[in-house]
Amino acid sequence: MSTAESESSLSDIEKSFMEKAFCYAKEALQNQEVPVGCIFVYHNEVIAVGRNEVNQTKNATRHAEMVCVDQVVEYSKTNSLKLESVFEQIDVFVTVEPCIMCAAALYDLKVRSITFGCKNDRFGGSTVLDVKEILKPVTVVQGGHRADEAMALLKEFYKGQNPNAPASKVKLKKSVE
Amino acid sequence: MRSSKRIKLDKPEHSQKCLIPIISDDLIQDTPLIDVYVDTINDPKHISKVIIDLNSSLPILDLTHLKRVKGKDILLCPVDSIGIDQVHGLLKIKNFDTSYLQNNIRVVSVAKIPPKTRTQYNKVNKYWPCNFHSDKYIEKLVTNTLFSSEELCEHEKFMKMAVLLANYRKITYKDRKCVGSVVVDPKIKSIVAVGYSNALSNPCEHATMVSINNVAQTQLSNINDVPNKSKLNLSGIPEDIHTVLQDKFEGSCFGSTWFKDKSEIGQPSDGPYLCTGYYIYLTHEPCIMCSMALVHSRIKKVFYGINSSNGALGTLCKVHLLKDLNHHYEVFAGLCKSECEGLNIL
Repeated sequence: MSTAESESSLSDIEKSFMEKAFCYAKEALQNQEVPVGCIFVYHNEVIAVGRNEVNQTKNATRHAEMVCVDQVVEYSKTNSLKLESVFEQIDVFVTVEPCIMCAAALYDLKVRSITFGCKNDRFGGSTVLDVKEILKPVTVVQGGHRADEAMALLKEFYKGQNPNAPASKVKLKKSVE
Repeated sequence: MRSSKRIKLDKPEHSQKCLIPIISDDLIQDTPLIDVYVDTINDPKHISKVIIDLNSSLPILDLTHLKRVKGKDILLCPVDSIGIDQVHGLLKIKNFDTSYLQNNIRVVSVAKIPPKTRTQYNKVNKYWPCNFHSDKYIEKLVTNTLFSSEELCEHEKFMKMAVLLANYRKITYKDRKCVGSVVVDPKIKSIVAVGYSNALSNPCEHATMVSINNVAQTQLSNINDVPNKSKLNLSGIPEDIHTVLQDKFEGSCFGSTWFKDKSEIGQPSDGPYLCTGYYIYLTHEPCIMCSMALVHSRIKKVFYGINSSNGALGTLCKVHLLKDLNHHYEVFAGLCKSECEGLNIL
């Protein structure tokens, strides 16, 4: 595991990228979405920005990272760049450890690096299932930057209820039909 | 694609064997065993007294699924760390009258945990009598008898639609990698959404992801916005595909029930909410990304045709069985296997 806990390992410019990801996480919170923010950096330029938009789109796969992936696809088309080689030079900055779905997607796209804030105890792509161990990706992953802050945002969200989830879920005894 | 030939449904007898539930290893493997000390009771008349005495002086909390006696033999304690020559000493310390026993202590292997299936029970019960509460649903899963032949026919029909979609994509877009998928609401037996891999233009647009996007389309429009509320919502099925499927699968039902806002829902199960209660039929085993997307979307059952080298519902791992996740779905593999295998041939 290459998840370093030290903040100082990030350069000033990397810290500024992380700051930008936090702005999008806060925007998610303001919009009653799980507060995760993400930016994709290509040749030191931010080419995709995103936040969780699951409730807004009624689509549980619209995590910040997936929103950014779609923007990179557009970016590559617009600039007539080869999609594969763009992804291979992308550095991902995201406030929370990517979930199993997003981690697998980013590894398959062969992004260069992922820098995240706090761990994701519910769905994390290394905490809950070690996706790296299965896919053996080239991607370098490091976590722990402003972790407390990222976690505080999540806690703030989960204090209130997810407005889109069905009310008081009665425990259904094994789905027998 | 335009052939007017209707797709004939095969007799389901042989396919029951092909449709394999992908279940947890602890339902398939033998129950783990543990070594325990046993002794023989001198006089059978004292059996019930010995059981009561021993249960109060030396209860075995981890092995409450086991009966204390087998014939005249009585279970004393797990082997754990104590030596065979120390057992009677321990019983005396616990104020148990060892004169009831023959002092013929042996080590036997017994079930370490309660058996989960009848097959497991039958095996471990021979070692030492054991309590067992059969779970009807689990029994149907492990014996692969969950579905009636009518239900199997239905599942095959939906999978054949997924195969058709994959072929449609293959021919229309000259795409080599063709995976098809169909999302069904089993409550109304209707096709809610469809998808096929679109990875040529977006590497993450696998068939599953496209289908989930299409399910979302059905929930973005509110019932209050539509004039004809008696009709089902068709926004999860592109028009061209609807036409093709209608033509080939006469009498099938298409569309989802209309999305209701939380405030309009009486019962939580009324939904629709994400893919809650829905089934997905996939020609190929989904990858990690797609399998986890189905967890997030709270799908109920996943049927796939053939394994994928990067598959996450049996091949590389079993995402649907990860204990720490907040949602779990059931997986069945091997549906219309030969048709799905045909998709891999160019």
